[in-house]
Amino acid sequence: MKQTKLKRSSRQHVIIGNCIAAVSAAETLRRLNPGDSIVILGDEAVASYSRCLITYYLGDMVDKKHLFSHSEKWYEERDIKLMLSTRALKVDTKNRFVFVSAKGKKKKISYDTLLVATGSTPVFLKSFPYDPDGIIGMRNYDDAQRLKSWAKKGKKAVIIGAGFVGLKSAYGLVKHGVRVKVVELLPTVLGRMTDTEASIRVRDRLTKHELLDIELNNSVISTRRHGDKYMVTYQDGGEEEADFIVASVGVKANTDFLEGTDIEIDRIISVDDCQKTTAEDVYAAGDVCRSRHAVTRQWIYNAIWPVAAAQGRVAACNMSGQNRRYEGNIPMNSVDFYELWVTAIGDVQVEAQDIKEITFKSSGIYQKVKLRDGIPVSFMATGNVDGAGMIRGAIVGKTPWDEFIRRPQAQILPVVNQTDI
Amino acid sequence: MKAFRFIPDKCDICRKCEEACAMVCGTSEKQSGKHVPHIRICQGPQGPFLRLCKHCEDSPCVDACIVESLQRGPDGLVIQDESRCIGCFMCNMVCPHGAMKTIMSKEKAFKCTLMCGKTETPTCVYACDRGALFFEDLRAHNNRIRREKIKELPKR
Ligand SMILES: Cc1cc2nc3c(=O)[nH]c(=O)nc-3n(C[C@H](O)[C@H](O)[C@H](O)COP(=O)(O)OP(=O)(O)OC[C@H]3O[C@@H](n4cnc5c(N)ncnc54)[C@H](O)[C@@H]3O)c2cc1C
Repeated sequence: MKQTKLKRSSRQHVIIGNCIAAVSAAETLRRLNPGDSIVILGDEAVASYSRCLITYYLGDMVDKKHLFSHSEKWYEERDIKLMLSTRALKVDTKNRFVFVSAKGKKKKISYDTLLVATGSTPVFLKSFPYDPDGIIGMRNYDDAQRLKSWAKKGKKAVIIGAGFVGLKSAYGLVKHGVRVKVVELLPTVLGRMTDTEASIRVRDRLTKHELLDIELNNSVISTRRHGDKYMVTYQDGGEEEADFIVASVGVKANTDFLEGTDIEIDRIISVDDCQKTTAEDVYAAGDVCRSRHAVTRQWIYNAIWPVAAAQGRVAACNMSGQNRRYEGNIPMNSVDFYELWVTAIGDVQVEAQDIKEITFKSSGIYQKVKLRDGIPVSFMATGNVDGAGMIRGAIVGKTPWDEFIRRPQAQILPVVNQTDI
Repeated sequence: MKAFRFIPDKCDICRKCEEACAMVCGTSEKQSGKHVPHIRICQGPQGPFLRLCKHCEDSPCVDACIVESLQRGPDGLVIQDESRCIGCFMCNMVCPHGAMKTIMSKEKAFKCTLMCGKTETPTCVYACDRGALFFEDLRAHNNRIRREKIKELPKR
């Protein structure tokens, strides 16, 4: 009798996905609901790891121990049931079930609250379709393992897209002696993180490596099997052979298994500020859903780690009956290639009549702040990025630049001592 | 909560706090092998200022750390497992106090983890004999400042 009562009062929280949004939610759920049951469904075969490290793992810059951030013991200690190699196939939001394939077996798992934290996967196009033998993305442990096994000295790889992941993958591959060509449609590397000047600096630094070549303003129009290699055809008419190809032109949210439900999806899941979806007791967090721009308050797709971590936590609070709202974030990223750091915060490439730029330029350092009505809206730095977060604080806090530069702490930023241009 | 408090007027940039921090807790640089402190006293136009982790309650650095090197410890402090850091400087990008010590030659970022004196007197505070640096909660600190002000009043 007593047991049934206990059972009724304790709830089952199910989380689909097993990266940062999922584990940050699980940890919060456990803290707030000591007696509830928590289940994580992850389609990968391994426990949670630092996804952003897979290119470092590819390049032997970190080992397995470093890569894996959460051992199975971590889940055990928190009494979180971890189901690996378990893929969600369908969700029934009326009767509250998740249908899964667990290590090949079909199963039905019931939930009281559900968190969708399935993240995103690389996009492939007709001109470079997914091919397990040689055309893959760089998104998970499996991808890293496969690239590692292909990355032999003297091999040739083509990377499509010179964004963040593309360049990091290139960086990892050349460490194995693989000759790498990165092709990018845009005139700059790192997408919206750079302007022309910063792009040149990054590209120069990377292509100093004799095995690494970056070609801008070009794209891949077809790839076909050519013996045990691939023939890649470029838009400019060029052709070349490659042993394997890495697609890194962007990601799409993993929402296929939610089709036909009452969860509103517009390429990404439409959540509210509490991470609630349009289906009752179903939440979403991380790369799979939208988030607020902390300054403009618009809904944007900001698929970065800090957003996923915060959204997971906020979702868990609301799943536990606490009313918490996520205040949002702004697009940003930071990376280091051969000791050249690049940090970009806000919309670096924004150009308009009412935008004013302040720039600092020396042989090693390049910094640029953009102001609208005297308030900073973006900051980009290469070479010296020290203290960048202070400008981020001013962007989010809408602190007028004139006021910001009078703060003693701001003096460490080279761009602060510049006059307007 | 206890935190570092700095009275710029009292500081004459003697750098004893930095030296002590470097000796006890700091990080050694790759090339020079020199120990660098986590605490930094900088010379600003209006006098000295402090660059040091405030162990904020809503620590954005912990969320931003893509390798889970920065974490919130059981006592609420922001701690770091330096061995996990890969030097992406995401933390430096979000720290509103500019407190992360980015060491390019090591490709790592470092911060004060209060390893030297969690609840007692941290080394840097102990080393400060100018009365410029304290580790105390805000109320105690405000009382201290008030007392100092009264002391400075002209004697009647
Ligand atoms: C190489 C690389 C470098 C990066 N570097 C940075 C960086 O420096 N800074 C930064 O901010 N961000 C970076 N990112 C982005 C960052 O990793 C993501 O924003 C973050 O991982 C999102 O976390 P998430 O939990 O939302 O989803 P994900 O990390 O995508 O995890 C989702 C998980 O769900 C699983 N899953 C998907 N569908 C199902 C299903 N149907 N059933 C069960 N499980 C499923 C997936 O296999 C995956 O394990 C990087 C990403 C990559 C790939």
